[in-house]
Amino acid sequence: MVKKYLRMTLNERFQHLNLFINFTILVITGFALKYPEAFWVSPIKDVPMGMTFRGFLHRLCGVAVVTLGGYHLLYLAFAERGRGIVRDMIPKWKDAKDLWETLKNNLFINRPAKEIRMGRFNFREKFEYLGLIWGTIVMTVTGFILWFKTEWLIYFPMWAYDVARAVHFYEAILATLTIIVWHFYSVLLNPDVYPMNWAWITGEMTEHEMKEEHGLELEKTKAETKGRLVEFGEAAAAGGGKVYPIPLEGQGKSPKSVRRLYSLIQNLNESIKNWKGL
Amino acid sequence: MKRVKRGKGFRLVLLGIFPLLISFCLWTGEVWADNSLCFGCHQEESLKKQDARGKGISLFVSEAEFTKSAHGKLSCSDCHTHIRDDRHSEGGKPVDKSVNCALCHKEAEKEYLQGLHSKMIMKGMERAAYCFECHGKHNIFPSKNPRSKTHVSNIEKTCNRCHSDIEFVKHHALGAAIPGEEFRKSVHGKSGEVTCINCHGSHNLRSLIDPKSSIFRSNIPQTCGSCHSDITKQFVESVHGVMAGRGRSDAPTCTTCHGIHGIKAKVDPESPVNERRIAMTTCPQCHAAERISKEYRLTTTPVKSYYDSFHGLSYLGGDTFSANCASCHGVHDIRPSSDPNSLIHKDNLQKTCGNCHPGASENFAKGKMHAVASIKGEEFGEKVVGWVRVIYIILIVSVIGGMVFFNFMDWLRKTIERKP
Repeated sequence: MVKKYLRMTLNERFQHLNLFINFTILVITGFALKYPEAFWVSPIKDVPMGMTFRGFLHRLCGVAVVTLGGYHLLYLAFAERGRGIVRDMIPKWKDAKDLWETLKNNLFINRPAKEIRMGRFNFREKFEYLGLIWGTIVMTVTGFILWFKTEWLIYFPMWAYDVARAVHFYEAILATLTIIVWHFYSVLLNPDVYPMNWAWITGEMTEHEMKEEHGLELEKTKAETKGRLVEFGEAAAAGGGKVYPIPLEGQGKSPKSVRRLYSLIQNLNESIKNWKGL
Repeated sequence: MKRVKRGKGFRLVLLGIFPLLISFCLWTGEVWADNSLCFGCHQEESLKKQDARGKGISLFVSEAEFTKSAHGKLSCSDCHTHIRDDRHSEGGKPVDKSVNCALCHKEAEKEYLQGLHSKMIMKGMERAAYCFECHGKHNIFPSKNPRSKTHVSNIEKTCNRCHSDIEFVKHHALGAAIPGEEFRKSVHGKSGEVTCINCHGSHNLRSLIDPKSSIFRSNIPQTCGSCHSDITKQFVESVHGVMAGRGRSDAPTCTTCHGIHGIKAKVDPESPVNERRIAMTTCPQCHAAERISKEYRLTTTPVKSYYDSFHGLSYLGGDTFSANCASCHGVHDIRPSSDPNSLIHKDNLQKTCGNCHPGASENFAKGKMHAVASIKGEEFGEKVVGWVRVIYIILIVSVIGGMVFFNFMDWLRKTIERKP
C-alpha cells in the first residue's frame, strides 16, 4: 500500500504553476534583452516587432508575478492553511543546526550519517522560500523603477536609475541560478526524489520522501491520524479504498472538488503504473 | 524641231529658277549636301580596310541612320576634312584620321580639354574617351532625343560601356569598383533622372584628386547640394561638415555614410543609413575605430556604452522604437555638445530626451550619458554602479558556489550510501 501525504493543495499548486510559468517567461524575455545576439533569442528577433513585444510580455508577466505575490500574502493572512505555512516557515535555530549536520553528513564527518528529522519545511525550503520573497521584492521595486523611469527621474538622479538597472540584472542572474542550482536539485536531481518530486502536480508526497525530508512532520501527521484511516471511494486504486485524511482540509467547506481532481490524477497515475499492456 | 525649241525654252526657265533656288538656300542657311558620292561606296556593308596591325575595320556608314542624325544635313567632308589615301581622290593634306569636332563645337572642346579624358589621351592611353566614344560617330542625335547616346536614359549605359568593364577597370587601376551594377540598383539610378554626369560632370569630368573636381572630397557636399540643397546647408555647419570643409580626409562627407554609386533610400534595409544599420555600422565605422578616435581624441566609449544601454540592447535585438545614434545626435546637423545649437547641448538635452520620453524631467539631462560602470569611474554614478556590480558578483559567486558545493556533496553522499 502506497501511503501518500498531502503536500500542496490545488490552490497552492496553481500558485506554484502560475509562478513557474511567469518566472520562466520573465527569465527568457529578460535575458533576451541583455543578450540579444544569443542563439536562443532568434525566435524573438525574427518576429516583426519581436523585441517590442518582448518588452510588453516582460512587463505583463512582471505584473502577473506581483499580483500573485499579493494574492499569496492574502492567502497567508486569511487562509488557515496559509497561516500554517507562515507558522512553519519561520526560520529557527534548529534549521541552522540541520544545515550544519547535513553538511557534516555530506562531508562524511558524521560516520555513520546522522538521521536528521526536519519539520514541515526543512532548511532548504525555508531558505528558498525566503529567498524568493526577497527576490520578488527586489525585482518588483527595481522593475517598476525601470518601467516608470520618467516618474522616477523627477525625484531621483540618473545614477539611481542606473543602479536599479544593475540590481535588476544581477538579481535576475542570482534568482535564475538559485532556481537552477538549488530548486532543481531539491525537486529533480536529488536522489531521494529523482526523477521528480511530483508534489507540484499531484500535490502528494510518498512516505519515503516524507521520511527523508520531513521526518518530524511525518511523525506528527501519523500521531494525529493514528487509526483514522478513512474510507475514500474515489481513491480506490490508490490505497485499497483507504487513505490518510488530508490534514486541515477535511474540515474545510468544499474540499470535494479538490479531492475529485486530486483523486483523478491519483487514479490516472495508478492506472499508468499498473498497466500491463494489451 | 519643235522639241528643240521647247527644250531651249525649258532650259531658260531652269536657268531662271536656279539662282532663285540658291539664294533661297543661302537665306535659310541650309545647304543640302550631296553625299551620294561617298555613300556610293560606303553604303556597302562589306567595305573594310586594314589598319597598321592588319585588323579589319568596317567602313560601312548607314545612310538612313546618318541622314536622321543631328548631322544628317552636313556633308561628309564637313567633318572628314582631310582624307587622302590611295582610294580617295587626289589633293588634301596628309592623312588626318581624326575628325575634329571642335571645328564647330568650340565650347565643348574647351571644357573637354580641361577634363580627365583628354588628359588621359595626351598621356597615351588607348581606351580613353574621344568625343565619339560617348556621342557616337554617324549616329549622333541631340541629347534630348531618346535615341541619343547622351540622352538621360542612355548616359549610364554609355559610361558603363567602359567603366563597368572589368578588364578596363583593372587596367586603369580604378579599383574593383563596377559602378554600373551598383548605380542601377541605387535610388538615383532607379529615379531615371539622375545619371553619371550629374555628379561627375560631362566634358569637363575631372579626376578624384583634382581639387576642382566635383567629386573631390571637400566638394562632395556642394555636388550633392545641387539637388539636396537644404541638407547641404545643414551639413556644412555640422561638426562633420566643418571638418570636411577644412580638408580633413577622415571627416565624413555625404558619401561616407550614404555610399557612393549605390546610394539607397533610407527605408531600404541595405542602405547604410537605414535605421537598423546606423548604430551597427554607419556611425561605429569611425566612432568605434581606433585610428580615428585616437587622432581626434574621441573615445570609443560611447559606442560601447550604447550597446550596453537599454537603447542599444533593444536596438541590437531589432527594436525599431529604441533610440539609435541619430535619435539624440541628429542626422545631418550633428554638432558638438559645446555648441548651443546642438541637440545634445546641456540646455537642449532635456528636450531631446523628451522627444521620446514625454515629460522628461531635468534629471534626464544631468550626469554622464554614455556612462560605463566601473569602480574607477570618473563620475559618482559610474562608481556606484561599479560597486553594485562588484558586490553582486561576489554575492552571486559565493551563494551559487556554496549551493553547487552543498548540493554536489549531498548528491555524492546519497549516491554512495545508496545500496543497490
